[in-house]
Amino acid sequence: MDELDDQLRKLFSDDRLDVHSPPVAAETVVRGAARLRRRRAAITGAFAVAVLVGAGIGLAQLGKARSDDTVSAYLTTATPTTSTTTPQTSVSTFTSTVIVTTNPPPSSNGGNPDTPGTGTRSDPKSDPPPAPPTPEAQPGRYGSLSLGMSEGDALATGSLVEPSTPADPENRCKAYATKSVPDSNAVIISPARGIVRITLASFAKTPKNVGVGSKVTDVKTAYANATQSGSNVVVEMNATPAWSYIFESDGSTVTTVFMRLNANDCAGV
Amino acid sequence: MTAVLQLGTAAERGGGRAEAVGDFAEFVRMSMPGLLRYGHALTGNPHDSADLVQAVLEKVGSRWAAVQRKGDDPLAYVRRAMANTHISIWRRRRRESLVADFPDSGAVAPELSRLENEPLWQALRDLPPRQRAVVVLRYYENLSEAEIADALGISCGTVKSQSSKAMASLRTRLAKEGVTGGRTG
Repeated sequence: MDELDDQLRKLFSDDRLDVHSPPVAAETVVRGAARLRRRRAAITGAFAVAVLVGAGIGLAQLGKARSDDTVSAYLTTATPTTSTTTPQTSVSTFTSTVIVTTNPPPSSNGGNPDTPGTGTRSDPKSDPPPAPPTPEAQPGRYGSLSLGMSEGDALATGSLVEPSTPADPENRCKAYATKSVPDSNAVIISPARGIVRITLASFAKTPKNVGVGSKVTDVKTAYANATQSGSNVVVEMNATPAWSYIFESDGSTVTTVFMRLNANDCAGV
Repeated sequence: MTAVLQLGTAAERGGGRAEAVGDFAEFVRMSMPGLLRYGHALTGNPHDSADLVQAVLEKVGSRWAAVQRKGDDPLAYVRRAMANTHISIWRRRRRESLVADFPDSGAVAPELSRLENEPLWQALRDLPPRQRAVVVLRYYENLSEAEIADALGISCGTVKSQSSKAMASLRTRLAKEGVTGGRTG
């Protein structure tokens, strides 16, 4: 038996360790926790407004850049595959699509942006999908961030707000707020798999025009392959790497939307 | 899977906040003495312990509903978070406190100053935070190597190497001061 082992055990069982910590009142901690929670909520609201203005400016600039193939490619992706879309939604569909596509950096040079899944729906005209419950083919990216992107690349986009906070008690995965979503868990990054979660801004809509505030029934109408999971609606996307939209709801209305890598390895994502 | 998914922001916005707050306050009251003691072992300093406990509890409390839904023992969760927070944030502060060698020792209570003068306690204080955390988890928490690896999010191999480095440093330090710390038999 090692004597040092014994000495350490004895030291740590010493009752002198008990004394002389300044008292921390439970009320102080509870108040501090409430303050943290309020601050998160307040920042969320302020940032949402700021980003909304930014999106408006982006919208104006987009008018000039309409010839950009990237935009039209995204618009194509956004076009509903079902032919049952009612005409009156078309205006808002356009607006929302712009919000989703304003942020991508001009990295895609030309007509073929990195949309790994687009090949699966090769020619919608000659081959109309008869059964809607096929997963959408949409790349797992939002703004400049993509699911699976490494932490270094994600930081390089400038979209993340440092510092990170631990996303799990083990300190493996890191959580970041983003410029558009100030929630401290907006983006979660696994050391092994890169970005495993991207939360959409509260004003953003998916290319199918659903987002925070949409009815759960609308989500299911928009995505025929949607599945209910508790109060969440999960919509799998046919892309590489595979990912899903998670629509968190209060039962009837969507409260949060995030994109989640299917093969994620962070607890609680 | 559902429960896991709900851990995010929606869980924090969920109803029953008042109930959760009362529950959290009760948890804080019950766990505070043990956490302060554990923090003292972890940080080597009662003031840092209080700061650490308060910071971690506030953070955990701000997402209490999510922590509870996770299904883990909240106390174990807080302790793991304390070890990790101490390693990541308290590193700098610890170095600073090393420079200032008990500046207010006149005000320290006699029992505490006896602890502060204990060679083993001083030697522990000089360990890098992660090595110290490994030692505390092993001898204070009585965790196995695998459990320590899990708690700190490092590999078993790293736990072994950090532990053996820590023990070697402690032995060297104690031997230098002429205190028995080596192997017997």
